[in-house]
Amino acid sequence: MPKITFIESDGREHEIEAQTGASVMEMARAHNVPGLDADCGGGCSCGTCHVYVRPEWRTHIGEPNEFEVATLEFAVDVEANSRLSCQIKITDQLDGLVVTLPASQR
Amino acid sequence: MTSVDKAIHWDPYNPAYFNNPHPVFTRLREEAPVYYNEEYDFYTISRYEDVQAGLADYRTFSSSRGDILEFIKANNPVPPGVFIMMDPPVHTAYRSPLTRFFTPKRVASLEPQIRDFCAKSLDPLIESGEFNFIENLGKEMPMRVIGMLLGVPEEDLKTVQSDADAKLTTEAGKPMDLTEHTFVGAGFEDYIDWRMKNPSDDGMTEMLNLEFKDETGAVRKLTRDEVVIICSMLGAAGNETTNRLIGWTGKVLAEHPDQRRQIYENRALIPQAIEEILRYEPPGPSVARYVAKDVELHGVKIPEGSSVCMLVAAANRDGRKFANPNKFDIQRERLPHLTFGQGFHACLGNALARIEGRIALDEVLNRFPDWEVDLDNAYLTSTSTVRGWETLPAYTSKAKRRPGGKKAAQAAPQANTPAPIPGAESWKLTMKTPMGPQEMTAHLVRKGDALTGRLDSPQGSESISHGKISGNTLTWTVSVTKPAPMQLGFEVQINDNALAGHAKLGAFGKADIVGERISS
Repeated sequence: MPKITFIESDGREHEIEAQTGASVMEMARAHNVPGLDADCGGGCSCGTCHVYVRPEWRTHIGEPNEFEVATLEFAVDVEANSRLSCQIKITDQLDGLVVTLPASQR
Repeated sequence: MTSVDKAIHWDPYNPAYFNNPHPVFTRLREEAPVYYNEEYDFYTISRYEDVQAGLADYRTFSSSRGDILEFIKANNPVPPGVFIMMDPPVHTAYRSPLTRFFTPKRVASLEPQIRDFCAKSLDPLIESGEFNFIENLGKEMPMRVIGMLLGVPEEDLKTVQSDADAKLTTEAGKPMDLTEHTFVGAGFEDYIDWRMKNPSDDGMTEMLNLEFKDETGAVRKLTRDEVVIICSMLGAAGNETTNRLIGWTGKVLAEHPDQRRQIYENRALIPQAIEEILRYEPPGPSVARYVAKDVELHGVKIPEGSSVCMLVAAANRDGRKFANPNKFDIQRERLPHLTFGQGFHACLGNALARIEGRIALDEVLNRFPDWEVDLDNAYLTSTSTVRGWETLPAYTSKAKRRPGGKKAAQAAPQANTPAPIPGAESWKLTMKTPMGPQEMTAHLVRKGDALTGRLDSPQGSESISHGKISGNTLTWTVSVTKPAPMQLGFEVQINDNALAGHAKLGAFGKADIVGERISS
């Protein structure tokens, strides 16, 4: 099972064993990682599961699609490496993925 | 093989489906995933997977003619700024700069004022033992919030609201009348003109000053007319839909007191409760799209130029996606419902609607741990845009409730039923409506070839008009107000002590009738 590490804005780390096929958001929620509201439940329509992805993972994850880009406009403190975690599907290639959480989703 | 199934009937205008459309939605979803309605010439899709994919595929299912069936059919020109009725890239150009008004961060900052609006509405009612989810809260708080956000002065709010309501409300049984429909809301123009000369720190000033890149790539400000139209659209959307969400919250939680108790004791459950209400009874049960190119789904060809109605309310109860879909369960696995849509046209105000819904429930529970809704005095409407309560009285104190609760309330009209008419022949009628058989009693008085009398039903007693006798055939009409204002046109053939025929329900739809004589 791929391991994923979530780093909260205050530096606290949460390493979890993730299930392939699920989304990063779903895994964060399943393991009670704080800081992801995910209001819409994974519909790419609310912008409250915002994370920052380390640049080295970008090639494995791919670029956000047009809907995700549009929904990211709702998110707070968006950077070039901002992603919506509900749109990142976990694969074996993502073993070791590190995502950082923004200080707040709203 | 799946084909266009004619045996199932549904259209968004038929009052027979207003109260409970879910049985017919289930049939559509399970038996006719692509349903074609000949009368109004539109297709319907209802499975979660299909609606979700359809909402994302704007190249096939276009918003360029609107998201309401009547608009698509009318194909009126869409004025600049009405981004609901546009596809990318024009849509994106207008919508992007407006997201800033509705981000989760911005709407979260409104929480203290939203709580205050709720308190102002609810505090005076604490002692009264009753309040109306719509009149006292749903029609008040969302209007004040969107007004505050845009910067519409308090005294103009009601004008804007009634204007929006009038546009979205239709005569029961009929499509929206577009001849009198304008996009521009009166009340906004004057205010915006004034605001242009008197800038403030409100949303309207911000909107007047924001710069955006339009579809031609030019960076410019919104024109005065664009701001008028956008404010009118946002004002309408912000009032009407959240009002319905608050109504459904009152109704659904009254029917699930155990879950309401859980929420009362643990307010952390509020967000998931609101999501479940949104899934279970979406304020906007459907959205429509124009078919921009031929598409085939479940073996049915949907030709370019058609209109498609996407049944969000049916998709939200698709067992392929949601376990026990007809069960209201705030603890269910959280999966995305389609109530706010998905893709580019996902509700711009979803964060605002969510926070308003959550705060409304929290503030209601702070004052009224439980309540009972008075459905006999409630009124439900449904249009091709929204479905929900126009009025929903609730009793918050045990003393105000009728003894025996709902059962006694239902029995009450029986006691008020007028006595039989002397000389009348009485018939027990069963009308087979799409919502199940409805029983009623007809008291008919013959005079030559004229017919008078009365029709008693659980909804009340109504006089018969236009009654005629022609041999064994009797015809008459009855005007009713419940479940929606409409005229029922009866035509029955009498054969000794039995009768059979049909009733036209409003302008659309027919229901078969059988009956037996109970006195002569």
